[in-house]
Amino acid sequence: MKLLTCPLNGSRNIAEFTYGGEYHATPDHISTSARDWAEHVFFHDNAAGMVTEWWCHTASSFWFLAERNTITDEVIRTFKADEIYTERIDFSAAKTESRS
Amino acid sequence: MTTLDPTMGMRRSQLYRRHINNNAVFKKTGSDFVVSHYDNGNNQRTELDQARSMAICDLSTLSRTGFKGAGAPIWAESQGVKLPDRANRAIVQPDGCLVAKLSDQELLILSDILAKSHQVTALGEQSTSDHLENDTQTYLLPRGDSHCWLAVTGNQAAEMFSKVCGVDLRSHKFALGNIAQTSVAKTNAIVIRQDLGQTLSYFILCDISATEFLWDCLLDAMQEYAGSPVGIRALEQLVASQ
Repeated sequence: MKLLTCPLNGSRNIAEFTYGGEYHATPDHISTSARDWAEHVFFHDNAAGMVTEWWCHTASSFWFLAERNTITDEVIRTFKADEIYTERIDFSAAKTESRS
Repeated sequence: MTTLDPTMGMRRSQLYRRHINNNAVFKKTGSDFVVSHYDNGNNQRTELDQARSMAICDLSTLSRTGFKGAGAPIWAESQGVKLPDRANRAIVQPDGCLVAKLSDQELLILSDILAKSHQVTALGEQSTSDHLENDTQTYLLPRGDSHCWLAVTGNQAAEMFSKVCGVDLRSHKFALGNIAQTSVAKTNAIVIRQDLGQTLSYFILCDISATEFLWDCLLDAMQEYAGSPVGIRALEQLVASQ
């Protein structure tokens, strides 16, 4: 049985978790180009080696991050997202140019 | 004695048809109905004895609520709520209700089984009048319609759980007030150890749509321990006998 350690709930059967994709730093939503947004949302590195990934403990709906070696499938550590997200992010609307 | 109709309450348990088929006698708590006991004719074993060894009880119509958000713990403390010292712990309040800390930013509040606590209702009303969302990053998270609430009691409960749950819930490993958010019979559930009197007991909350499935799974798992459903009267007797 494979186990994964949730930073909130401890060691659990991997069946209790859902993979959430690669972690990438969130671009600045005001200045980022459409191309870079598409890159952030839709494209993945699919790297062989150490990666940081989102995982969710489904029984508690708790999202966290894991550092994993994709070659050996070894999880180096898991940690809470507030290690990275120290402040609330408010998505204010970007100013758009008039088309008239 | 007039038989109360569980469909006349503001809220009915997902299990009420099963209770009726099992000859349940209902009693009123607040505006809803809960099974007092089952009328099983010549069965010599009392529900209190049953609850001490292996039993399940449906508490789904008792009141409960929750709060979530970065400011939720601070706001709750400002309302006089005593908080557990860390996540996945629950503590009983002076008025009998149970406050469970599901994460650093999420609280679940359960009424006492005697339904004497008014804190669940009071906190819900206060949160509405405080307009919490804008000021304190505290969000009301009603639990009455989202989760069912079952109690599993008896000195064989932990052994029974070992058949359907991967977390070690034995009393020397899973202390009073501990919480496991995990899979029970393949259903996501919140398991809280909350002994009733001196009897090992657990509260189980799962998505309300899975209520009947989980009830049947737990009844099936406890069959080899001669477990069966009991009404809330037996749980009240457990509490009173401490």
